Amino acid sequence: MIGALTLLLSGAIQSGTSVLYGVYGETLCERVGVLYMGIEGSMVLGAFAAYMVTSETGSPVLGLGAGMLAGALLALAHAYFVITRRTNQIATGLTLMFLGLGLTAFFGRKYTSIHVDGFRELAIPLLSKIPVIGQAIFTQDPITYISFILGPLLWFLIFKTRTGILFRGTGEDEKVVFAYGVNPVLFRYLGVLAGGALAGIGGAQLSIAYTHTWIEGITNGRGIIAVALVILASWNPAKAYIGAYIFGGAQALQLILQQQGYNISPFLLLMLPYVLTLAALFAMSKQKRQVMPEELKRVINN
Amino acid sequence: MVMRKIPARSLSNAGVWFLVLISPVALFGLFLAAQGVDAMGTYASMVRLTLFTGYGMGEVIIKTTPLIFIAVATCVSAKAGIVNVGGEGQFAMGALASTALGVSLGASLPAVAGIPLMALAGILGGLIWSGIAGLLKNHANMNSTITTLILNYIAVQVVSYFVFGLLKDPASFNWPMSPPIPNHLQLFKFGNSKVSITIFIALLTAVLVWLILGRTKWGFKIRVIGGNPMAALHAGYNVKKNQLIAMAISGGLCGFAGMLEMGSVEERLRQTTGVNYGYLGFLAAWMAWNNPLLSILTAFVIGFLSVSGNILEITSGLPSSSIRILMSVVLLAILWKGRKK
Repeated sequence: MIGALTLLLSGAIQSGTSVLYGVYGETLCERVGVLYMGIEGSMVLGAFAAYMVTSETGSPVLGLGAGMLAGALLALAHAYFVITRRTNQIATGLTLMFLGLGLTAFFGRKYTSIHVDGFRELAIPLLSKIPVIGQAIFTQDPITYISFILGPLLWFLIFKTRTGILFRGTGEDEKVVFAYGVNPVLFRYLGVLAGGALAGIGGAQLSIAYTHTWIEGITNGRGIIAVALVILASWNPAKAYIGAYIFGGAQALQLILQQQGYNISPFLLLMLPYVLTLAALFAMSKQKRQVMPEELKRVINN
Repeated sequence: MVMRKIPARSLSNAGVWFLVLISPVALFGLFLAAQGVDAMGTYASMVRLTLFTGYGMGEVIIKTTPLIFIAVATCVSAKAGIVNVGGEGQFAMGALASTALGVSLGASLPAVAGIPLMALAGILGGLIWSGIAGLLKNHANMNSTITTLILNYIAVQVVSYFVFGLLKDPASFNWPMSPPIPNHLQLFKFGNSKVSITIFIALLTAVLVWLILGRTKWGFKIRVIGGNPMAALHAGYNVKKNQLIAMAISGGLCGFAGMLEMGSVEERLRQTTGVNYGYLGFLAAWMAWNNPLLSILTAFVIGFLSVSGNILEITSGLPSSSIRILMSVVLLAILWKGRKK
């Protein structure tokens, strides 16, 4: 029983980390007033770039860098289109998602289902010896450890620093930021770029730290889920864990139940993460008022 | 006789549009060349094999038909101010419901009863799927873009559940697919091709929806609601109810498309039923500025590009997914050019 619990918790974190980075990334985009549906594209591109570079060079660190860069590049395209050219954000995002999936399907053919070493789990001394949670939380890959501290860090950046105030201001009312003598366009670009880079890391975690392989469409809607979970986290990175680990936990549960030989259709289990995400959003909508950034409201309601 | 002068501005505008459409093609050509493929030759055979052969044209029409439906469906919800990106899931659920009916009761039903019943099941399947998103929007203020997208991923698993389980063809040697829909419930096809009357149903639907949105009182109401919900409230319109109706129609059309696909081209349900149609249909509607008539044209362009992907695979050995790259670059170019003012 305890073993299964550890397995579930550990699996929730392993599988949820990529989504967590997606939520971090999308939060930054939406905080500056940009809806980035193409985050699925950034994630899948990041996953592939990281995988390709790792398998070619043998260095997962270089791979991680490539994943970040690839995620950021696609986001840069989004930024250019929606900020500079003022295009429709949903259509642009979906097109970029399509582009990301197309590019990776094309270049990924040679690489399909080859194993890559990538990042390995590192057990943290002492902490990993704590019963139940030690094994689950403190025996993870380095990208996951970074994700643990990134939430509070981003929270501090957004809510407690001057840069953060301007950052949020850009998403609430760009005129005020402008009157403050800061160019909101620059902040928008920065937010979206950083968001894309984070999504790229999430993709990289998926391919070079979690599954250690590449298959077409590896992200399987995690970017879309991330967009949904930003709402659940009320645009607060410090709350991003909840949704991401609910999603990851549902994924892990499905694997565990299958391994234990329970006679439940795998397809019902596979839809569980998506259904739970919807349910979590539904529960949340009943609870409190949403604190969506004002500029974002304009985008979504159009 | 005075020749009508074409204003210089519209000429230059046409020039810009020409550039917008030609530059992605050039860009993708360079991409092909970089892959060691003869780009000009590939393009030539793409056009020749799709538009100038009976078989190719048939394939384009087959691909275009569901795209018209999904694009038109997207227009209906968009006019009411709701983004429906769930065409894929709604299409799949329509296909599932109609196949379930056709396969289980098909043999005992004559065509006169069976085909309309299958259509009804398809419409209901899609309608329920979009209705979920509509209800979530009305009762929990959940954004439809996100809910419809998530519902797509759920629909894939629902369909898989059935094609691996209750609806699995016992004669398929473990392939995940449903048994074929009985012959007498199949729709009329032209000669030996797979082209059926469904394309005409699609064209008719597009015209009908265009008329309803543009010429009826309800269409006007919907446009007011989509254009300015506050004004609609002041005019005494029931915004939520009408948006839900628009969403139901939107899903119903997608589900109907799923049924038609089952009854003409696919003949049996597979895991991949409807994959990608949703996004492509959405983008077709978007390219057409949510105009149902214009959607016919944009759906055709996207249908042509889809079939070209298969040709690319055959003639140059590149995976057919590469055409997605061309498609998205074309769409980005159109996005870049911006809406007509």
